[in-house]
Amino acid sequence: MDLVDNLALGFSTALTLANLAYAFAGVVIGTLIGVLPGIGPVATLAMLLPTTYALEPTSALIMLAGIYYGAQYGGSTTAILVNLPGESSSVVTCIDGYQMARRGRAGSALAVAALGSFFAGTVGTLVLAALAGPMVELAFKFGPAEYFSLMVLGLIGAVVLASGSLVKAIAMIVLGLLLGLVGTDVNSGVARFSFDIPELTDGIGFVGVAMGVFGFAEIIANLEQKGARQVFTDRVGRLLPNRKEFAYAIPAVLRGTGLGCLLGVLPGGGALLSSFAAYTLEKKITRNPDPPFGQGNVRGVAAPESANNAGAQTSFIPMLTLGIPPNAVMALMVGAMTIHNIQPGPQVMTSNPSLFWGLIASMWIGNLMLVVLNLPLIGIWVQLLKVPYRLLYPAILVFCCIGVYSINNNSFDVTMTALFGALGYLFYKLGCEPAPLILGFILGPMMEENLRRAMLLSRGDATVFFTRPLSLILLLMAVALVVIVALPQIGRKREEAFQDSE
Amino acid sequence: MQIRNAKDFWSGILFASFGAFFLVFARDYDMGKAARMGPAFFPTVLGGLLMLLGAIVAARGLTARSNDGRIDRFQFKPLALVLGAVVAFGLLLQPAGLLFALAALVIISSFGSDEFRLRDVLLLTIFLAGLVLVVFIYGLAMTVPVLPGFLRD
Repeated sequence: MDLVDNLALGFSTALTLANLAYAFAGVVIGTLIGVLPGIGPVATLAMLLPTTYALEPTSALIMLAGIYYGAQYGGSTTAILVNLPGESSSVVTCIDGYQMARRGRAGSALAVAALGSFFAGTVGTLVLAALAGPMVELAFKFGPAEYFSLMVLGLIGAVVLASGSLVKAIAMIVLGLLLGLVGTDVNSGVARFSFDIPELTDGIGFVGVAMGVFGFAEIIANLEQKGARQVFTDRVGRLLPNRKEFAYAIPAVLRGTGLGCLLGVLPGGGALLSSFAAYTLEKKITRNPDPPFGQGNVRGVAAPESANNAGAQTSFIPMLTLGIPPNAVMALMVGAMTIHNIQPGPQVMTSNPSLFWGLIASMWIGNLMLVVLNLPLIGIWVQLLKVPYRLLYPAILVFCCIGVYSINNNSFDVTMTALFGALGYLFYKLGCEPAPLILGFILGPMMEENLRRAMLLSRGDATVFFTRPLSLILLLMAVALVVIVALPQIGRKREEAFQDSE
Repeated sequence: MQIRNAKDFWSGILFASFGAFFLVFARDYDMGKAARMGPAFFPTVLGGLLMLLGAIVAARGLTARSNDGRIDRFQFKPLALVLGAVVAFGLLLQPAGLLFALAALVIISSFGSDEFRLRDVLLLTIFLAGLVLVVFIYGLAMTVPVLPGFLRD
């Protein structure tokens, strides 16, 4: 009955007026940025982190979480109506969703996406609540050696399952780890790589790095690309799917939810991977699809949209229970916790139970709000697609700059963010994914700390990572992942899976 | 030697330079021993690893079979205007106050778009200034100078 008690505590926290309001604010902002192409949840979370400084930690996390899963709902709207992924996790939804819109079934596609997402969100939240306890228990068996190995596995998993070149992604992680080390070393008190700049002795601000590399670089990249888009804003049509669509969509939603829950927990998983995998699965198992995939099959909307929402929910599991972020969004959530002086890790559940369970409960409430926001009120969001980008991006910049400044009330941070914006643009031109950099940046100090502690406890014996069974298993899993992807056939499959969407 | 995949080649060079940078400057600190690692240990290992990875990536840029890794042209106009606007905001905030810094940010960055329209940009500036005053100054009680130095009491 523990689970019931815990959820009761969670709901009593999440249902306070203030927390309801912040959950609502989060899902509204999430839907907003989900609908708007060219601004993703990572950039938004980075921008809004500083503004949550003044809030209660619970309220802050509830709002930030709402932005993440809210963006999953909003992203599908743009994918279906404009054939542009509002979010990267909605890339595959474009394929069949837009074709449904062209056939006059836009309303039905939107409804399937929203209802499927709601179902998946509910299941994902339950899985999160049920798994949290056992995971925390496991985590307490972890010593520094296990933590170090777990971080290695997490980082490797993050790059293996992501798209693009493996070596480049690993290099981005290492660069992130190194940038994370700038600042005062906790063990010796030496200010590393600070070059006598006083602001650097506290380390490079996480928000500045994330905002520069994701936010600013994204804006500049968007300004380069121009192109007309055809918007089906005036013909959303009937929202209710017909009987045939229901019959096709329901099993697809179930499969998508299951797959999303599973992949969300994996290191490197989350919304993006889940939606890709779910679409590929539907294509594989459906015989004689009618209409074919790519021409408006409702399964191609139902499965990935459920999967991305389920994955978004369950990717909170490693972040909340182990303090290890499986993707860039969760890295930002860890950042948010540290801003509020909460050390992420298994002790959060015991030391801050109302925060822990309140956050989980708020996710279900937030999902409920999202269905209302996205179905009856769809017209409002559609109007947003008409706001030209040339007015949008200066506004985004204003909020970014004020946000960065307000963390330390220091203009140096603003300049630093511009510098990372330039670096992010360079990465974009060179085809280097920035997400692994952020993961490395967050994990850098934690990894060094655990490495040092493990080596101290073993008196300098590095074999400790292989002689402790849990640590060995984690490292073997990491090696297995690399080997699997390095195998030529599977490597090709992986590329195919990511190219299917283009 | 011909660069076949320019994206890979130059990312490799970038990674290797970063690796070298951290490796060289880590020498100023104490390495320590395996049981008691000094502040130089982890950065040195990682810096070396990054140099190695950079070399692999760069080598693959030289030996790739296809020529499809061309780098798209850098567009310096939006880059300079967007980041310049941000730097201008940072520099102006303390001496000139939030309102002027915000106006500079909005107006300079707007030039980065190809569809610049002065009237819209001015309206946007006024709208955002109002919004920021309400949300950040009155709402969140942020401590930041609003007006230029000579107008403050």
